[in-house]
Amino acid sequence: MALNAESIPMRWPAGPLDIARGEKTKGFTADTAEVLRNWQDPASLAVVQGTPINCLVVSWAADAGQQQALKPLIEKGKQAGLEFVGLIEGEANKPAAAAAAQSAGLSAVAMEGDAPASGGVPVIPWNTAAQVRSTANSPVLGVADGVWPGVPQERTPTGGPTNLPWVDSNGAVLLIARALAPDKTVWVGFAPPQPAKLAAEAYMLAVADPASYGARWVISLDDQLRADLTAKKQPAADTWKKAIDMLAFFEQHKEFRTYQPNGLLAVMSNFAGPDRDLGEEALNLLPRLRQAFRVIARSRVAGASLTGLQAIFYVDREAPDAALRKKLMAFATGGGILFVRSNWPNPEGPPAPAEPYLLFNMRAVGKGRLAVCKEDQPDPYDTVADIQNIMSHRNDLLRLYNAPSSNFLYETSAQGGQGVVHVLNYSRRAGSDGPLFYVKEPHKSARLVSPELASPAELQWAPQEAGGAELSLPRLSVYGAIELEK
Amino acid sequence: MKNDLTRRELLAGAGVGALLARPAWSRAVTAPAGRVAVARCKTYGPELVPTMEKMFDQLGGLGGLVKGKTVAIKVNFIGVRWSRLGNALMEDTYWTHPAAIGAAVHLMGKAGARRIRVVEGPWSTSESLPEVMYSMNWKPQDILSAADHVEFENTNYLGEGKKYSRFMVPGGGLIYPGYDLNHSYEDCDVFVSFAKMKEHSATGVTLSMKNVYGATPITIYGQDAGADEPSIRPHGGRGNVFHFATRLPSKSAPQQKDMSLPKDAGFRLPRIVAELNSARPVHLAIIDGIKVATGGETAGGGLKAAVNPGVIIAGTNTVATDAVAMTVMGFDPLAERGKPPFARCDSTLRFGEELGVGIRDLSRNEVVGVPVSDVVFSYPAVREKLQAGQKRG
Repeated sequence: MALNAESIPMRWPAGPLDIARGEKTKGFTADTAEVLRNWQDPASLAVVQGTPINCLVVSWAADAGQQQALKPLIEKGKQAGLEFVGLIEGEANKPAAAAAAQSAGLSAVAMEGDAPASGGVPVIPWNTAAQVRSTANSPVLGVADGVWPGVPQERTPTGGPTNLPWVDSNGAVLLIARALAPDKTVWVGFAPPQPAKLAAEAYMLAVADPASYGARWVISLDDQLRADLTAKKQPAADTWKKAIDMLAFFEQHKEFRTYQPNGLLAVMSNFAGPDRDLGEEALNLLPRLRQAFRVIARSRVAGASLTGLQAIFYVDREAPDAALRKKLMAFATGGGILFVRSNWPNPEGPPAPAEPYLLFNMRAVGKGRLAVCKEDQPDPYDTVADIQNIMSHRNDLLRLYNAPSSNFLYETSAQGGQGVVHVLNYSRRAGSDGPLFYVKEPHKSARLVSPELASPAELQWAPQEAGGAELSLPRLSVYGAIELEK
Repeated sequence: MKNDLTRRELLAGAGVGALLARPAWSRAVTAPAGRVAVARCKTYGPELVPTMEKMFDQLGGLGGLVKGKTVAIKVNFIGVRWSRLGNALMEDTYWTHPAAIGAAVHLMGKAGARRIRVVEGPWSTSESLPEVMYSMNWKPQDILSAADHVEFENTNYLGEGKKYSRFMVPGGGLIYPGYDLNHSYEDCDVFVSFAKMKEHSATGVTLSMKNVYGATPITIYGQDAGADEPSIRPHGGRGNVFHFATRLPSKSAPQQKDMSLPKDAGFRLPRIVAELNSARPVHLAIIDGIKVATGGETAGGGLKAAVNPGVIIAGTNTVATDAVAMTVMGFDPLAERGKPPFARCDSTLRFGEELGVGIRDLSRNEVVGVPVSDVVFSYPAVREKLQAGQKRG
């Protein structure tokens, strides 16, 4: 079976290679080693039997011991319809490891950096988000350094500059990867915090956070959960079932992956080099400001529609080429707002002094405005806060009230008739009030679907005196999706 | 225009000057009595404007106070705006209702105010007040069009001003000798505090006196304020400086007199609020008790309920007006620390009295309109009911 975009991966640490690596880490015990030995036993595949998981990611190297140890597991797994991907890490002999993968029957290998010239098997580029290889010849694009999602336990939960609690999410890097490589499936790797006995909700969120952003988490269990699953302990089985239920939910709603982020603001960048940080941080902060947005990679801008946008934030200090500048200025003169960096050469239009904003100098261009940043290295939060201020809340498509630890992502179908609002609760606990959404535009229906609900719930529109309507959601511990139909 | 000049102008020119001006500046001087009007008003509908107009007439009429003057109306948009009490609207729980703001603006315009500026320092933002209102799905144009020459200013930062205005506390103050505020608080001839009738986690109640606390700019008194000079942008809340003294205000502003004072919000805030009322006197206090939330100043935590006391209170003195409001809420305005609502804090009203702002004893103030006893809406009773429900549930 060949690796394809529908493969649903799970990290499967097993064998002598993982034991040797584990022995170099703090807190590694004989029990943990025993679990790793158990997981190379084909009997351990019972853990994924009956689940949507169809691809196991094993540690791989040009190491005969590891290859021999995993052979029975791979053979049995392939008989059961599972694919195997070999993750080649560190200073391994990559060409030799890739060649061995082919003879061992692996569907692909994943590795950092460039693929070997004659690997024999497909190579999934497995790099950090900042080094993501969007042009690699693989249906899957790997992001190796995802974060365990949630409200960080080690930080004071009083919040960032938005005064809503800070949350760790993979949303920004995954949206960037999708924008750079829209024809690929993005896998993201992150491991559970160790040592920790994680609640089921932590795993549910770990599945839902990447899935909401159109990607797949390479599921990775903590040592204790692996041990308890091996020992067939019921609490572990319950935790695992909840995580699998979340995974199955997203497989039942594959249409979500065909939707694209929507909003009145587009963040446009090459998301590389010195401008990567501002672009990524803007995408991290916009959900905390509860601003719906789109992401446009500069390399893809020729095919991108600017229809329906109110504003574009051109993140890069590198000036656009003549064609792109013409397109951007046509957008602005047609009534849009174009936000650019301080070094934008020869800004068009006369200054508009009647609009004094802290971070942007406004210029009148046709029916629209050009907003030139006053600072060379602006603070990301100040930047997006001023952008939101200049765009005005009166135009908000959506607003989320309550649920302070929640983010939302608004996506719509290609024709715009269907939409989904992913609601992710990073506290992993239902708050005292459920999320409350303001929706500006009229829709025919709104339905809440969630693995936390026994059945979908039709949501009632509460029309607002000043226009728009509100949708009141029940309390959610981790995730729900509002399906909107126009 | 300097603050004391404003006061002299009022004394000289206003028909109700004797009621509105605050002649005492130190503990040695007896605080002035006030006149407070109480009215029933169940909704923010058509009854609102005539009700408020009648109340202002009962206080001596708005004309003598605002005609030809610049008025600043400090409203209350407290807390993280995205946190509501369930589905209840912010204006029906924690924020001064836009219809009530519009009514006050309209009546002041009708009474001849030359310019009316609605001011507030909403939580941690430099957004304009209309933007804050839009985020609540309000229509700021309804307020802008309620009278001629209406403006808004976010006073969290320098805003439209060139420099901050300094207000010293007569007598030297209890914690701070003075405060630096946005220019709007100096530019006005008449200062109005338009509060919501609420309880407060750190000060027991938050009424027209406590509302003035929100005038302090985040750029100087916020968690990310500049160390030496005010920051350009407002970030965060005021708790680090005012509640807990874990950091100092920008050095450019008057500094705390004695750093050995307790770092307890229940000690500090009542004194700070009283100082602010002394340094920047309020000429007209209005308290929106039509629809409110009990149990605290913002949503989240504790037992809270959206309720409809259906009352408005307005007065010429913040201490007196708050004393009436406390009585309406079912509290004793003469209560000291240890007794509700001041179970864990000192009484702001008491320090208002000590600093010569006003008198909290109702019998020494003039209360007009509907008898207070007719409009009592007991907040402790609501709490008991919620507690009983919690035990049953």
